[in-house]
Amino acid sequence: MTPGTFELLGFGPQGWGFLLLKAAGTTIAAAICGFFLGSLFGLLGAALKLSSLLAPRMIGQFYTTIFRGVPEILIVYLLFFGGSVAVTQVMNLGGFPGFYSLPVFVIGVIAIGLVSGAYQTEAYRSAFLRLNRGQIEAGAACGMPRHLLLRRIIAPQTLRFALPALGNIWQSVLKETSLLSVIGLTELLRQAGTAAGSTRQPLLFYGIAAILFLIIGRMTGAALGGLERHLAKPWSR
Amino acid sequence: MDWPFLIDVARQLLSGVPLTLQLAGSGLLAGGVLAVLVASAAASGIAPLRWIALAHVEVFRGTPLLVQIFLIYYGLGQIPELRDSFLWPFLREPYWCAILALALNTSAYTAEIIRGALQAVPEGEVEAARAAGMSGVLLRRRITWPIALRHGIALYGSEVILMVKATSLASVITVAEVTNISYRLISSTYRALEVFVVAGAIYLALTFLVSLAVALVERRLNAHHAHRRT
Amino acid sequence: MTSPMQANTANTSPVIATEGLRKHFGTVEVLKGIDFSARDGEVISILGASGSGKSTFLRCLNLLEMPSAGRLHIFGEEVGLRAGKDRLRIANRRQVDRLRTQVAMVFQNFCLWSHMTVLENLMEAPVHVQGRSRAEIREEAEAMLARVGLTARRDAYPAQLSGGQQQRAAIARALVMKPRVLLFDEPTSALDPELVGEVLKVMRDLADEGRTMLIVTHEMAFARDVSSRILFLDQGQIGAEGTPQQLFGGGHNPRFDQFVSRFNQG
Repeated sequence: MTPGTFELLGFGPQGWGFLLLKAAGTTIAAAICGFFLGSLFGLLGAALKLSSLLAPRMIGQFYTTIFRGVPEILIVYLLFFGGSVAVTQVMNLGGFPGFYSLPVFVIGVIAIGLVSGAYQTEAYRSAFLRLNRGQIEAGAACGMPRHLLLRRIIAPQTLRFALPALGNIWQSVLKETSLLSVIGLTELLRQAGTAAGSTRQPLLFYGIAAILFLIIGRMTGAALGGLERHLAKPWSR
Repeated sequence: MDWPFLIDVARQLLSGVPLTLQLAGSGLLAGGVLAVLVASAAASGIAPLRWIALAHVEVFRGTPLLVQIFLIYYGLGQIPELRDSFLWPFLREPYWCAILALALNTSAYTAEIIRGALQAVPEGEVEAARAAGMSGVLLRRRITWPIALRHGIALYGSEVILMVKATSLASVITVAEVTNISYRLISSTYRALEVFVVAGAIYLALTFLVSLAVALVERRLNAHHAHRRT
Repeated sequence: MTSPMQANTANTSPVIATEGLRKHFGTVEVLKGIDFSARDGEVISILGASGSGKSTFLRCLNLLEMPSAGRLHIFGEEVGLRAGKDRLRIANRRQVDRLRTQVAMVFQNFCLWSHMTVLENLMEAPVHVQGRSRAEIREEAEAMLARVGLTARRDAYPAQLSGGQQQRAAIARALVMKPRVLLFDEPTSALDPELVGEVLKVMRDLADEGRTMLIVTHEMAFARDVSSRILFLDQGQIGAEGTPQQLFGGGHNPRFDQFVSRFNQG
């Protein structure tokens, strides 16, 4: 007797339910970590690109060109293979012979951070350019030092203007985590693949993975939409 | 710098470029036709058609392309009717599965671009055409579509670039395009950086050519915005 | 109503003074060496055709615009400026930030912070720059809003207010800092004509209180009635200076008379 669909997806001894949920958790964790690492890179990239000096602008341009123009999966491979080579060399030089590698979760988060950071660079940059110069001047005219201007005026408004673009980038990041299956991270797609292989039910398990991606995307999208509407309130009449 | 190695890598990777271009080209062609159908269905008065179109867009934009590729490559074989049909010789080939997945994926994004572009057509210009006695196909062919095309072309340009990048996922189901060859080189030589630099340069060159082409098309389409040189 | 002559100019050191203030944008010289001083209690209207440099001059006084040359004294203290590539630079940001809390500015485009309510706009600088207590400043801010007639709109966002209301809120925001000088940069120029009056009324009340005000404006009648002194800028230089009676009486300065007559026609 082969188990039916419900047994396969359930939480019983023959069910993949628990493992799939756990993998969904890994997907969400990788997406969140990658997105916020990307915010760090994005803010840095935007600062570089907005610089009045040529050299930082060129570095910023180089960064966004590479990481937006090269397929994400190549970047994942670069960090996976290149990262372990680099770590092994450093360890061997430090007197620890043998072969070393970084956890795939860390590599995956860095890869997603670098890619989404390149897109977030553009989001923050164009949001910053939309700021009203007069309002910043008004702060300066009140004697606000630079850090206060940044924290009280520039940051909140930049975030507000960048939010719609950041929402789109978040959706891309969520889907990009599926690429980490190729380096062995047991996220949703890889777990579904394992289940599909051992039960010979690929349609069912990849279908479930697709549905879970849709649900996660929809729910986080609704939350971000709510935040967007909340932050947009001051600008509505 | 190990030039002989780099040149060897370049030679091998360049042999994958035709396949990369085929995947992108066929995917875009089939996806474009499908996108027009989906966009028409989404705008149609028949509710079930509209629902199908909306579901299509939602599913293919809301799930990772890699999941779609696996569903098609591994999943379709599970359907006995398909296995017995004339389509099976195609659908068991990674190459055709990749093209099908790319086409379905881009059709969802492109349908949205079409919808947005049609929405961006100014009401006033359509009314002006109606006032001049235009209607039906004539109105669409002479006024609505040309204006929408000018609105949508830039976004479609980025979609083409995304598609060129997306062909790299076909590597996962053994299609020997540029990324697949890169992966095999990296995992056999462990010289990730060198291979990455060459592969990255190839993709950047391809996307650069695409954006150049799009810019040219845009310039032609938007000639009415250009300043007349005397 | 204050008589213009009432402003006491004796025995007080200047609140703001400039010596040889110059400013150029590229090759265009906008200010060609301005010597100027304002004393406590003076209401000075700065008039001039567009392009005369009057707004630039006002913005140089709190260093929103960096002069190319010259010296600036605020409350008797010389503001530290050092040479830069094509303009002077602030030598000591702390000093400038400290002085700016005492020199409030009202902008042509109001420049209320759009992510804060009216009340939050008023409380922002006193709380975060001056470090005053929230409770204390809240009371003062509410009183100030009552004064400019905006109590009912205190929780509204700037985008929800009319231009006149925004400018009154901006004036209130300047006042809660308890500044010693108020700078007005064309405060009514961006307003619909029917909203100008409400802003001018607030400014007139402030002048009557004996506040020190420097006003760049195109409102001739207002300048004539309210100012203790008129500064007429003409092509980057002081073209004429004096009481409203002296200047508006005519015959004092032909360029000024021409400016006024052109203005009355236009």
